[in-house]
Amino acid sequence: MGYSNYFRDTILINKNKNKGKKTQQRTGLIMLIIVIGIYIFSAILNLTATYNALLNSFQVLKVITPILLVVIFLMALLNSLINQKKISKHLGHNSGVKGWFIALVSGVLSHGPGYVWYPMLSELRSHGARDGLIVAFFYARAIKLPWLPMMISYFGLAFTSILTLYILLAALVQGIITDKLLAEKG
Amino acid sequence: MKQEQPTFFKALVSAIQMLYTIAPMLLAVIGMVGLFQTFITPEMLHSLFKGSTLYDTFVGTITGGISVGQPFLSYIIGGELLEEGISLYAVTSFILSFVSLGLIQLPLEYSLFGIRFTIVRNLLSFLFAILVSWATVITLEILS
Repeated sequence: MGYSNYFRDTILINKNKNKGKKTQQRTGLIMLIIVIGIYIFSAILNLTATYNALLNSFQVLKVITPILLVVIFLMALLNSLINQKKISKHLGHNSGVKGWFIALVSGVLSHGPGYVWYPMLSELRSHGARDGLIVAFFYARAIKLPWLPMMISYFGLAFTSILTLYILLAALVQGIITDKLLAEKG
Repeated sequence: MKQEQPTFFKALVSAIQMLYTIAPMLLAVIGMVGLFQTFITPEMLHSLFKGSTLYDTFVGTITGGISVGQPFLSYIIGGELLEEGISLYAVTSFILSFVSLGLIQLPLEYSLFGIRFTIVRNLLSFLFAILVSWATVITLEILS
């Protein structure tokens, strides 16, 4: 009886997952068609600028591809080495100070555009990582370590240090607020 | 019943499948980045600032949120705005929202995290861009 319930639940979960994936892909395709439409419309109005936009997009794709490959590798590594229980323990509701520390440090150290990290974070979330930590990770990404020397040269050491400290604090506060606001989502 | 841990190969296949699922949305976002980089010029952003601290802080947050590119671009634009007499409050909120808010990645965020998470995270980022910019400049003024 227990086993039949388990298999029925598993089939249901997989059905829902597949449905979710199909919806995600359909929404993505609609969005892609809209963007292609904008490019066609823009090309009619200004061919040179549209060509430049296309070149810029290819440049972005070139930059994010290696980061995306790293993210895919990390996702596979996380899923094969760390089980759901461990993710819940380190990033779940009872993760405490350690969870905040992991979110803030990994946010500061992560490279590339934020959207490259979306797949991995949504995977962690589905395995039990809580929303507050994901929000804290995203905001801590506002500290761009490789660009700090340039920021200092433009705005000074005092400004950069104060801003960096406030960003970390804001990431933590936003994470706490998110946990409170989205706590009842179940 | 104990949950089976997938092998690295199975997990890799699953990660690639996820990438395949989000690929159209990812390509759409990248396409939008190219369009924004070409059509939203720094001059266009400059023209939106009026010289009022409160208004400019708000404008700085919005323009930072719709701008795209490497973070150093926000420093260059911010530096130019400061030279033109725009307040440090507005410039700080611009730099901050440039890296913490992203209008064009909203559809991808929504499709992976859901509407509630996306709204809460972006509203908080918007609010905190203003709060952090004010806190930073006031602290800087007190210390100096």
